[in-house]
Amino acid sequence: MKLNVDGLLVYFPYDYIYPEQFSYMLELKHALDAKGHCLLEMPSGTGKTTTLLSLIVAYMKAHPYELTKLVYCSRTVPEIEKVMEELRKLMDYYEKEMGVEQNILGLALSSRKNLCIHPSVSKEREGKVVDGRCYSLTASFVRSRHAGDDSVPICNFYEGFDAHGKEFPLPPGVYNLDDLKDYGQTKGWCPYFLARYTITHANIVVYSYHYLLDPKIAEVVSKEITKTSVVVFDEAHNIDNVCIDSMSVKITKRLLDKCSNSIQILETTITKMKDNDSKRLRREYERLVEGLRDASVARETDMALVNPVLPSEILEEAVPGSIRNAEHFVAFIRRVVEYIKTRLRVQHVVQESPAGFLRDIHTKVCIDRKPLRFTAERLASLIRTLEISDLTDFSPLVTISHFATLVATYTKGFTIIIEPFEDRAPTVSNPILYFSCLDSSIAIKPVFNRFQTVVITSGTLSPLDMYPKILDFHPVIMSSFTMTLARPCILPMIVSKGNDQVAMSSRFESREDSAVIRNYGNLLVEVAAAVPDGIVCFFTSYLYLETVVSSWYDQGIIDQLQRHKLLFIETQDAAETSLALVNYIKACDNGRGAVLLSVARGKVSEGIDFDHHLGRAVLMFGIPYVYTQSRILRARLEYLRDNFQIRENDFLTFDAMRHAAQCLGRCMRGKTDYGIMILGDKRFSRADKRSKLPKWIQEHLKDTLCNLSTEECIQIAKRWLRQMAQPFSREDQLGISLLTLEQLQSEEMQKKIQQQAQAM
Amino acid sequence: MDDQTCPKCKTTKYRNPAMVLMVNACGHALCESCVELLFAKGSGSCPECKIPLRRNNFRVQLFEDAGVDKEVDIRKRILKEFNKRQEDFPTLREYNDYLEQVETIIFNLVYDIDTTNTNKLIDNYKKENKDIIQRNKNRQSQEEMELEELLESEKIQQKEKAELYVNAELEEKKQKHKAREKLIDELMFSDADAKSIVASHVQATAAIAKDQSKLIASGPPAPAVVKSNKFSSGVQIGLRGSQSSFLPIPKQEDLPLYSYTATVFDYNGPTPPAIEMLGQLNYFANIRAASAAERAGGYTEALSCCRALQEAMGGLFYCPQSSHKTTVAMVAEEVDDMEIT
Repeated sequence: MKLNVDGLLVYFPYDYIYPEQFSYMLELKHALDAKGHCLLEMPSGTGKTTTLLSLIVAYMKAHPYELTKLVYCSRTVPEIEKVMEELRKLMDYYEKEMGVEQNILGLALSSRKNLCIHPSVSKEREGKVVDGRCYSLTASFVRSRHAGDDSVPICNFYEGFDAHGKEFPLPPGVYNLDDLKDYGQTKGWCPYFLARYTITHANIVVYSYHYLLDPKIAEVVSKEITKTSVVVFDEAHNIDNVCIDSMSVKITKRLLDKCSNSIQILETTITKMKDNDSKRLRREYERLVEGLRDASVARETDMALVNPVLPSEILEEAVPGSIRNAEHFVAFIRRVVEYIKTRLRVQHVVQESPAGFLRDIHTKVCIDRKPLRFTAERLASLIRTLEISDLTDFSPLVTISHFATLVATYTKGFTIIIEPFEDRAPTVSNPILYFSCLDSSIAIKPVFNRFQTVVITSGTLSPLDMYPKILDFHPVIMSSFTMTLARPCILPMIVSKGNDQVAMSSRFESREDSAVIRNYGNLLVEVAAAVPDGIVCFFTSYLYLETVVSSWYDQGIIDQLQRHKLLFIETQDAAETSLALVNYIKACDNGRGAVLLSVARGKVSEGIDFDHHLGRAVLMFGIPYVYTQSRILRARLEYLRDNFQIRENDFLTFDAMRHAAQCLGRCMRGKTDYGIMILGDKRFSRADKRSKLPKWIQEHLKDTLCNLSTEECIQIAKRWLRQMAQPFSREDQLGISLLTLEQLQSEEMQKKIQQQAQAM
Repeated sequence: MDDQTCPKCKTTKYRNPAMVLMVNACGHALCESCVELLFAKGSGSCPECKIPLRRNNFRVQLFEDAGVDKEVDIRKRILKEFNKRQEDFPTLREYNDYLEQVETIIFNLVYDIDTTNTNKLIDNYKKENKDIIQRNKNRQSQEEMELEELLESEKIQQKEKAELYVNAELEEKKQKHKAREKLIDELMFSDADAKSIVASHVQATAAIAKDQSKLIASGPPAPAVVKSNKFSSGVQIGLRGSQSSFLPIPKQEDLPLYSYTATVFDYNGPTPPAIEMLGQLNYFANIRAASAAERAGGYTEALSCCRALQEAMGGLFYCPQSSHKTTVAMVAEEVDDMEIT
């Protein structure tokens, strides 16, 4: 279908289009025209990806100089693959319509673990090990050693790429990870480096958030992307947490013990090198004296260690004299490690600012701020000089060096928290030092400054106005789209009391109350009796899940439940959970029906879709507030309050509601799908919580569906299910929630869409 | 820390949780009871390296690695003497070289490399840089000062904000309570329709909530005096540190505003023509005209001509009745002036 979006010819690879897709395109086009950032919320299952891709590709074709590149950031590998599939469909459509090959190159990039084709390295399962082994085969010094001595192993694929790959660019087309691997196999080139090299001239790049947000990686991978690019963050409802994680460091006792070992290795290597090849050390030393940046760093394979701070913060200065000499530096880092060890030997929780830490480290072990800032860079230089090819041993030391550099660079927006034990087990000594970033805008700021358009989109971004505040940017467009539906296929309900009129709530005071737990149990049993196939329940935490399940067992609720459906439980163990999931799906598929008990913020709530019969009902037991006693959270709340004028309660509610919405959204993956959403907490019906749900859920949450008791809820659900069970064909949707080209162009529809756009 | 062992009596931290390890200048650890036993006389030799030690110098081992304790000890001692700052060097390069030299000295002392020469070096340095050492002793480095400032401002800010928010919250609670009481009162005593009363109450509370959030959003109502001890140019205000100390600027009282009044000159002679009139009076006929380059700087021939006329006519009617001394002084001044111009 060829569309006219505000004067732009857009090729859309399907015969039908949803009205909200069209208005999404309109808004997106306005943002691109204005060269500004935008924030768009559209329900999951309405074809966000294909809408985004078709509009941006059309825009690139129409304005080849104003918009040169699309960088599409997604969260997981399966999501990246999905995007590539949509892109392929779009390109096929272009080809069919225009009859000529398209000159557009789209590719996916992932870690070495997913792209390696080296026969033995690719067998490794852990990402870090793959990276380390790759480095040991492709580092420039290993290759130069190989030139003199054939017994030194190298990677033939990388050699192939290095010899020929750069001259012959990848032919236009769409390459997902497997395509890249196949291409690499046939040519004998390393797909990973090929992809990284190709990023600079590809039109569409699809990769993970971290390649752009984490300064450790962004510097290496995304350095040469031009300003005239549009960056899309899909599924971005957790983007602030990603930003924060990329700048935070966690140091445990074990890590420090391992550090001591790595320092030993460094020391012995230095002495060995001094005996054999003192020239190299000498050369490095001289270079540092001159204050020159390492010219040979340009070798792409060597950049296994990089500076953790943002490019704008890196000091363009010579390394200070006190850590110039290799031996001095080793003594220096040993002092840092020993100092942190003493800091970890605390009996009570300590919280201090980076400034306080710097002053303390100065008085205790005489370390100034400047050398501390250069730690990461100096360590990288030393490891390169020593030609250490196995980097896996050094990862603890690298962590420490990152910590040192960060703490000396940033004095604002960070905090240091030292906890001698975990809150849950106060008798077991397990000291941990958290260097925590409090300000999510720090990491994302360079992205906003660098690119002309940044699109933040997800199925659940409500309340929209919170994101510009916490990420500190000014969007030109901020819109939330609802889902036009031919039938009311979602049924949100707020159940606030049981049949015995006892209020249901996961409030701290009533959490342990057996009446509340029993009411939750009864609700689940009744829902299980009324709803076919799969039911997913979300609890607020693993701890709460466990206590509730054990009381249900005592109260006989589990037995009642198992009369209707099988029961599966998510645990903290990933393997166990995936096994439970497989069996849950099996039980749903063969009609037995199943109940999955899982946890908001857990693995199930974040990445797994329960479409159609896998999730006919979602139950939310309580409001998923984050654990508020955590000191990191407290510090962050205070920071937000002081610097962004966001009140603690507002942020907590925002965070809880976005996770609740994320959980509820699990059961709706398209317009033919239908599902019940039950919010089991009386606090949900308050205006401040209700108004924070996404618009597409709020729309269906009428006043008559709030404040129900279990009985009423079941009645409504039964009636609704009977309605939904009627056959539903495409013809029912056509003209309302699904449009052909003619329908879209009809004036009536255009007017409606205009109105919708204005309303926002 | 559980695997700490005293090398002398082999006590471990595990068996005796009260055990405390001590170190002395040589960097070898001993447990407290061994120290008491071996150094009962106040001095003795280290059981490992046989170096004579004093008991007073034993202190609690701070770090897991006793070597680091020793190093830090030496470092502190050396840095007391080697306390030059970056400001004392003309270039960064020289400063870095100096830093490395210090590091080498410390390294040598810690690992007992070439001790005699190193000690000689230190003594030389001490002699040569006596005054700098003395001066820097009382001086904080720029960096330290920055940190101190940061810490202080953090403290102040925290306090202010905390107070502000506590107050705001209290205020809000009070407001809510008041509104509720008002509603109940109204419902009890008013004759109006209960529904309309409730509706108006809802509106009122919503308005209040909005105000509140705005208030919070607009930040502290009256930003409490921000204590800044820096000018925008980064120059320190006040006497912190011993930066070449300025006298405190004398406080000026509120004086009436200055207004300009043209000065009246007493030439003591015939009045010279005004500068604008010179051209008309044809004074420029015999003067070299100012070149283009001179004009660019703002010079015109009228200026020097006017000056010459003033000098020529000034003081012609002067009678030397006043004291001779002052005139001499004035003449001398004039000569000075002329030399300068």
